[in-house]
Amino acid sequence: MRRPTAVVWLLAAGWLAVILVAPLLGSQPLDLAALAAGDETSGAIFWQLRLPRVLLAVLAGGVLAVSGLAFQTLFRNPLAEPYTLGVAGGAALGAVLALQLVGGAGFFVVAGAAFAGALAVSAVILGLASTRHGLETGTLLLAGIAISLSCSALILFVQYLADFTRTFRMVRWMMGGLAVVGYGELLWLTPWVVLAAGMVLVHRWELNLLLTGEELAASRGVDLMRLRLLVLGATSLAVGALVAVAGPIGFVGLIVPHILRRWVGHDHLHLVPACLFGGGAFLAICDLVARTVMAPAELPVGVLTALLGGPFFLWLLVLGRQR
Amino acid sequence: MSGDPLVLTRRLGWRAGDRRILGPIDLQIRRGECLAVVGPNGAGKTTLLRLVTGLLAPSDGELLWGGQPYARLSRAGLARRIAYVPQVRPARVPLTVEQLVLLGRYPHLRRWRLAPRAEDYAAVERALERVGALDLRKRPLVGLSGGELQTVYIAAALAQGSELLVLDEPTAHLDPRHQREIAALLLRLAGERTVLTATHELNFASLVADRVLGLRDGRALALGGPAEVLREAVLMELFEAPFETVRGGERPVTVLGLEA
Repeated sequence: MRRPTAVVWLLAAGWLAVILVAPLLGSQPLDLAALAAGDETSGAIFWQLRLPRVLLAVLAGGVLAVSGLAFQTLFRNPLAEPYTLGVAGGAALGAVLALQLVGGAGFFVVAGAAFAGALAVSAVILGLASTRHGLETGTLLLAGIAISLSCSALILFVQYLADFTRTFRMVRWMMGGLAVVGYGELLWLTPWVVLAAGMVLVHRWELNLLLTGEELAASRGVDLMRLRLLVLGATSLAVGALVAVAGPIGFVGLIVPHILRRWVGHDHLHLVPACLFGGGAFLAICDLVARTVMAPAELPVGVLTALLGGPFFLWLLVLGRQR
Repeated sequence: MSGDPLVLTRRLGWRAGDRRILGPIDLQIRRGECLAVVGPNGAGKTTLLRLVTGLLAPSDGELLWGGQPYARLSRAGLARRIAYVPQVRPARVPLTVEQLVLLGRYPHLRRWRLAPRAEDYAAVERALERVGALDLRKRPLVGLSGGELQTVYIAAALAQGSELLVLDEPTAHLDPRHQREIAALLLRLAGERTVLTATHELNFASLVADRVLGLRDGRALALGGPAEVLREAVLMELFEAPFETVRGGERPVTVLGLEA
């Protein structure tokens, strides 16, 4: 078996191991024997709290990594991902607006608003990338920062207007967390993850071609605008769907694809499954750390990924300068 | 050399806003010939190449492929007919030589197949063999010399299996030995593929081209065999710089004259 294929299988095995082992670990260790014997407390913790949470983490991590991968290739920019370009921020703003404006907003209202926010920001980025200097690393990232800052400011403004309980709900949600109960969120998120990963995988040749430059890709018959619309649209929808469930979780889309490229190379045929498995396992492990390191208190996982991602971002910037 | 035109341009022109960059150009690219485009910077050479490749839509006039308007061909259809090697490319392409050349097969790949077909791999092998770069196939592109890179990009264009090869400045930044290798490669392809190339190297054009097109300010100033176009008088008008012919004949050799 060739190396990239072998690494993908190894990642899949690791991913499965994380799903099996992570639910057993936590502030209250689970006794396997008691669980097998049908102990009700153990069973409730395992099935209702920990397993859905771990599954949500692997889905979320996978889709964030795949989206980061797609953004980086589409914009030919190593620092692009839904978080740095403001797509996650747009989704968050949409969700917060829904929480504030629609009294007792149900999940689907929040999700719809998050979609709208993510797509709106994607449209802005797409428009910008089509301009003359739009694809230069600096321009795109500065635009992303400007969009993120505007969204953050608007979110703060909405929070300022909101009453205490709503504010608390918003702040807690903004930190990015995977504390779910039950499987509803998983059912909701799965189709979007499949759509995003499928869309990226189906366009693997086009994305590989983009690595050789837009001019060459276009001359080989790639319709760049259509490619950007489809791939950016699908990944942004998935990010919106995730933000509605878990809030913005930053930097997974930055860290994971970069590490995986070193392991499996740059062919998107291998990178997409690698990101799904690797990103999923990465976020599930981050979440495991987040819920045990300060036990019984829980750290929101978004705080942890941001703590890892900030220095990583700087490292990539410095590395980019050296080239 | 048959006189049957592969590409025909009628009053072809391109503008950026109100500014005319190219045209009007009436040109025939004959099946099997090598046509070199020469001219000063900003003459519209790359614009002409991009128009012929189908990357730019003409502002004026029209382009015909074998008598059929470009507009009737799909993007993929054009790519199966025309392969382009741009001059400006990303500095670091993180692929191996084989991966790059395989991507040349894109217009022939099927979206729903996970792996390329045996015939795609065979085309990759043939293309690499044709340019004499089979030994490079497993090497990463990062770390190849300028000459090797140009060679494998041409191999990728060959793998595309297109009848027309469009090369923008294929010898730019290459040392004499590698320029000679690219020239030898184009001479080997003579008759087998139709080649349209833009170049600043007049002696390279003289060596490889069946016909030379002299462009200035977006207009065709001269068109004909190397001996007709690469003359001192024509070159003076084209470049506003004096040239001396050091060897005449069918494929003249000229040098830049230093006396004003």
